[in-house]
Amino acid sequence: MTPPLHARGLGKRFRREWLLRDCTLTIPEGAVVGLAGPNAAGKSTLLSLAAGLLAPSEGSIEVLGRDPMREPSVLAEVGFVAQGAPLYRSFTVAETIEFARRTNSRWDKELVADMPTRLASRTKVGALSAGERARLALALALGKRPRLVLLDEPFAGLDPLAGREFLQLLMDGVAETAATVVIASHVIADIERVCDHIVLLTGGGVRLAGDVEELLESHRILMGPRRPLGPIRGVSSIVRERHSGRQLTLLVRRDGPIHDPSWTVERVGLEELLLAYMAPERMPESVPRERLPLRWHG
Amino acid sequence: MAWVTWRQHRSQLVVGLGLLVALAAAAFGTHLPIQAAYHRDALSDCLPPTARSGCDIIVRHFQSEFESWVAALRGLAVLPALAGLFVGAPLLSRELEHGTHRFAWTQGVTRRRWLLSKTALLAGATIVAGAAASAIVMWWRGPFDTLEGRMAPSGFDVEGLVVPAYALFALAIGVLAGLVYRRTVAAMTATLVAFASTRFLVLKYLRPHFLAPLHSIVSATDSAGRGGDWVLSDVLVDAGGRGITAGREDLAVLHAQQAGIDPHTYLVTLGWKRVISYQPAGRFWTFQAIEASLFVALAVGVVLTMLWLVRRTPR
Repeated sequence: MTPPLHARGLGKRFRREWLLRDCTLTIPEGAVVGLAGPNAAGKSTLLSLAAGLLAPSEGSIEVLGRDPMREPSVLAEVGFVAQGAPLYRSFTVAETIEFARRTNSRWDKELVADMPTRLASRTKVGALSAGERARLALALALGKRPRLVLLDEPFAGLDPLAGREFLQLLMDGVAETAATVVIASHVIADIERVCDHIVLLTGGGVRLAGDVEELLESHRILMGPRRPLGPIRGVSSIVRERHSGRQLTLLVRRDGPIHDPSWTVERVGLEELLLAYMAPERMPESVPRERLPLRWHG
Repeated sequence: MAWVTWRQHRSQLVVGLGLLVALAAAAFGTHLPIQAAYHRDALSDCLPPTARSGCDIIVRHFQSEFESWVAALRGLAVLPALAGLFVGAPLLSRELEHGTHRFAWTQGVTRRRWLLSKTALLAGATIVAGAAASAIVMWWRGPFDTLEGRMAPSGFDVEGLVVPAYALFALAIGVLAGLVYRRTVAAMTATLVAFASTRFLVLKYLRPHFLAPLHSIVSATDSAGRGGDWVLSDVLVDAGGRGITAGREDLAVLHAQQAGIDPHTYLVTLGWKRVISYQPAGRFWTFQAIEASLFVALAVGVVLTMLWLVRRTPR
């Protein structure tokens, strides 16, 4: 079975800057993936590459087993909602749906008609609220009966209620179409409730990827009095260490049970875990910076 | 795609139709006095090759009466550019400016098919509109064409096959400019510059040589015009065939006057001749076909470039 999305050594350069580099990842069939990362981490770039809007500068990306640039016909099976849900402002809701129907061979009229988007069909798109426009764009993406849904920052500019309505529509649609979903968002709280997989991008590369449950299971927070750090049984690496007064708090990746009684062991939340991986200045396992040799000029 | 094209461009189509109706109304309104004058002066009896006496005065009177209108008609040469400015240039630049291409290009229809269908449908409408405008102008200019011909640019550029061909080319250039510049105003400016300079270069450097021009050598004192022909150059040469500068001509005339000889006779005795090179009126349709094919070929080239570019254009 070909994975819905598979990238190998994928990179995209714009002018001289790498927006995405050496990105290798596989998204499993049927997963709901949260594509997390700070702003400018390469999330939009990755989704644009997957939607065939960008051509890779290096490496390759396969969507449903096909290259979206060489075989754009694969887009018939991909539901993509770009950031800000761009739609024609002068079109009415009905005309926008008609546009999608006319430009897609796979179009499920009933599915779209039954969707509780709660939009008056004669309203102009330009007059819709951000939440309504996002719901309309999502309905159109789902109307293709896609095998893969790509959503780029769908919650940006949406109030919490609109965000919840959007998620509801998305989960109903996913239940109906059994599509794989990738949601890019820099706000982890927005995607935490629905994602079963996480891909964390930082600085244009994959920093962390995996099943949410497994990730939470393999990480622990250790708290104890401050001390010089040696190897701890059951801990494979320290993701982050934090000192506050005489207290030492570690976020660790473990490879077995931690029984050391001098540590209080706690489970970690997804948001905290991802934030720990995002913050590059607090990564002790990275190579220690070489001391710069002083040089005299002149 | 037909519905999509219609929905996105119906306002332009309505404006285009409005322009054609306005043009037809203006043409009809202004043609009435022309027709009246044509019949009043019995100009049909004065058409070449008739050499009825007094005809030249009648024709000159008629021409001077409507001179300003005919001159104004030359302004219609900008009409084809409108297709490029207001239909072609916004086609892609508006999508790229508003980000709606991210919506349109990620549907089941591939972006090349999307672009090709839209361009083809709009090209069809542009050709029909161009042909209609051309037909209106040809009808209006009918009396003047019979008198002064339509081989010269003033008639050639606004009549016949070239009008829809220019419009088609302008449209294609506009779409390409929108793809390259991604901003509507920039695309419109580029379209205007590219269209005007191409038209100018073809008119100045290619059209005079579509077929080898004919030459007519007449006596230096013969001041007759060349009817409906397009005169490319009209120079005085001496007996050796060398061109004569205006200064040398003035000097010769002055010399004759001082010597008390009739300057005309003097020039003839010097052996000076007038050499006129021209494209004859009879080549009108041949030239129209050549120039129209040239612009259609350019338009096709532009569309192919565009289809190649749109696949590679990022975002």
